[in-house]
Amino acid sequence: MSDVREPALKVVDAFDLDDELRTILKPGEMIRDAQGRRHRLPRYFYEIPEHDFAMEYRITPHFGLNEFLLSDLKEAARLQNFPKYIPCAVRLLAFYLEQFRKDAGASVHIAVNGGYRSPSHKMSIDASPHMWGTAADVYRIGGTILKTKEAIEKYNDLAEDLSEDVSVLPYGHVTGINADDHVHLDLGYITLIPREISEDRMEQPQENRPRFAFEDRRRKERRAPIEST
Amino acid sequence: MVANTAQDSIAASEVSLYRNVLKIKEEHSLEHLGISFYDAETTIQWSYNADHYFHAASTMKLAVLIGVFREVERGQLTLDAPVHVRNRFTSIVNQEPFMLDLGRDADPNVYGHLGKTLTVRELAYWMITLSSNLATNLLIDVIGVPNVQKALDELEIDGVRILRGVEDQAAFDAGLNNEVTANGLLKLLRVIAEGKAYSRASSEEMMKIMLDQQYRSGIPAGLPKAARVAHKTGNISNIHHDAGIVYLDGRKPYVLVILTQFTAENGRGTAVAEVSRDIFNSLAGSSYE
Repeated sequence: MSDVREPALKVVDAFDLDDELRTILKPGEMIRDAQGRRHRLPRYFYEIPEHDFAMEYRITPHFGLNEFLLSDLKEAARLQNFPKYIPCAVRLLAFYLEQFRKDAGASVHIAVNGGYRSPSHKMSIDASPHMWGTAADVYRIGGTILKTKEAIEKYNDLAEDLSEDVSVLPYGHVTGINADDHVHLDLGYITLIPREISEDRMEQPQENRPRFAFEDRRRKERRAPIEST
Repeated sequence: MVANTAQDSIAASEVSLYRNVLKIKEEHSLEHLGISFYDAETTIQWSYNADHYFHAASTMKLAVLIGVFREVERGQLTLDAPVHVRNRFTSIVNQEPFMLDLGRDADPNVYGHLGKTLTVRELAYWMITLSSNLATNLLIDVIGVPNVQKALDELEIDGVRILRGVEDQAAFDAGLNNEVTANGLLKLLRVIAEGKAYSRASSEEMMKIMLDQQYRSGIPAGLPKAARVAHKTGNISNIHHDAGIVYLDGRKPYVLVILTQFTAENGRGTAVAEVSRDIFNSLAGSSYE
């Protein structure tokens, strides 16, 4: 038994965040996937206060929180800096990735932009499990950079064998052309509600605050005095 | 009388240079040769076949560099912004994805970061100094080809046509290539040398990158060792170009562009270095006080 204890992860209800963050994270909003199906975006997030915390916090023995947060300039500017936010369901993804790592017999590396992507991320065009924190794009396993059909299909098979819950995308899934550089695995559109959270505020405005920035703007517009001519 | 002597000297120098250039072209059996230079010290501008369009090869990366700094100056981008290093791009012709051939562009400084990030500044550095194709395509992905062309238009640089990134085979097959003239690249380099590429700070930043160029078999090979050259080369199977700003002690810089196209039988040779040497000799022999 190790004496080292992980610091506690703070859970936040995204409705309680400031206007800018709520606009970026769009908690509870419905969004369509590429097939036109509608999905409700997650509302509960872990708040990661700083870079060191993200680097040190292990969700599972071999996966650190930072690995799910790697993004580049395609992510909303606010989320390129700390504090960052990640849907609580990332825990489930990490659990399956740990199993995947064990079966692969090598370290599993998530690509930049291959973990959580906010709904405001430039790659978030249609709904994808990345926006739920339940998808990972793996670009390297051990020393193998995943760029060939053989390598990607081999690890796709391995991922599918993990559980019925795990989905993968076939090699060349973007257009069917032979150019792919990662294994995509996901658990679908899962939202996780931490046990310490009470959901009774779901339909209630919090402290009379509008849920989204545009609601605030509309409210102000309604209050604006009418100019007389 | 003194003025006439100076004019005669310039004319003699130009005639001599012209003869030497023709000789080099013949000796190396060059299919095409384009040269343009401007000397800030003497204000002499000289050119040979300088409006002929060549395949740009990697000299197009100078245009991408200017495009990047345009976005930085407009506040759309910061040099420290992280960019995901991945080897997958989209063809401009059919929107199909393609990957770069790692063997042809084995720059470990960029490929070593596959799956991770490099900053815009780092990508710009490797794009120019080691001519990284991967860095180039990543930066084009970030800023978009239209913004590269916009930068050229805003800075009134004609003679440089940028249509696509590197190794877009479908575009190549469709005849869509980046093209440059010697005069076009000369304008581009003069804008940087004169501190007019959006701002003095941006121009200096670009200059610093170009001074670290690692491939030195072109213009620098025809110069004394003390010369400092901020430049960009371009090489493909039948093309060898070099375009740069030459700094020599005790005088203002000169800007020089040498574009060559040769046959497969003759190979690349040393034509660019020889032209560079002749132009240096020609300028060193000139005296304008």
